[in-house]
Amino acid sequence: MTRLDSWLEQATRRLSRDSAAQVRIEIQAHYESAREAAMSGGATADDADQQAIAALGDARTANCQYRKVLLTASEARILRQGNWEARAICSRVWLKWTLVALPVAALIAATVFSLMGAVEITRILLVPALGIGLLFAVPMFPVYTPSRSRIYRAVKWLAIIAMLALAFGSDALKWSWLLISCLWVFFQIERTRASIRRKLQVADWPKQLYL
Amino acid sequence: MNFKGTLPTLILEALRHEPTHGYRIAQQIKERSQGVLDFKEGTLYPALHKLENEGLVKSHTSIENGRPRRYYRITENGRKALSKDRAHWREVSQAVTIILGEA
Repeated sequence: MTRLDSWLEQATRRLSRDSAAQVRIEIQAHYESAREAAMSGGATADDADQQAIAALGDARTANCQYRKVLLTASEARILRQGNWEARAICSRVWLKWTLVALPVAALIAATVFSLMGAVEITRILLVPALGIGLLFAVPMFPVYTPSRSRIYRAVKWLAIIAMLALAFGSDALKWSWLLISCLWVFFQIERTRASIRRKLQVADWPKQLYL
Repeated sequence: MNFKGTLPTLILEALRHEPTHGYRIAQQIKERSQGVLDFKEGTLYPALHKLENEGLVKSHTSIENGRPRRYYRITENGRKALSKDRAHWREVSQAVTIILGEA
């Protein structure tokens, strides 16, 4: 393994395959130019190699910086999985319309039961109406601009909290360990998506990043 | 000399006149600063990618001497950011000069 190979291996650690390939192309071209310049200045091949690598600096520092601006392997995996889920739903028309119809039906039923004074049933119906509506039905509407998506995300978090409050009511404190565990998963997904949003230009965002 | 935080501005300045690749940007910065601003070249590319993510530069790959090379060019937003950074830098350097001049 050459010095450049081991530098590249460290610098591209935990980056996605595409990001790593991009870094390799750039650094390789940079290294060749630096090496040629050193050799034309009279350095031996080995000295030129050493100088070119030294000029690149610490590979671990570069890796840290690359991971802040290029997709990591785990982020690329989340994007792939998200695309697969979206395709699975959007390619089945019956599933798509069922997911829109379910929250609407649940909302209508909740209104009817609330008018009849059945508070408990209303509460039980509102939870799936909010959950399915937000997670599956709203993404079928035109929320795919950065500003609309910001509003959607804010509303989504409010609705998740409302949904949990409805589901657990006064027992929320007793079940806080479960609530925190559930919210932690959502929070992690949201954090990863925010990181991906920073790394991709808006024009390159897949639909899932707007949600 | 450590010039943390100013590298993106220096990159935009290096790209102001013509599109170029990372190695030439690094050389330009070193030459134009007469060797005062020395930096590790491996950190140049993350900064370039960040500028690209922010839409301040655009890149394309072309073949030079038989090897693929990524060229960067400044965008209209990049030019606006550069002129803003330039004005901000003038203000800061003036203020520092005044303070150090008083000492």
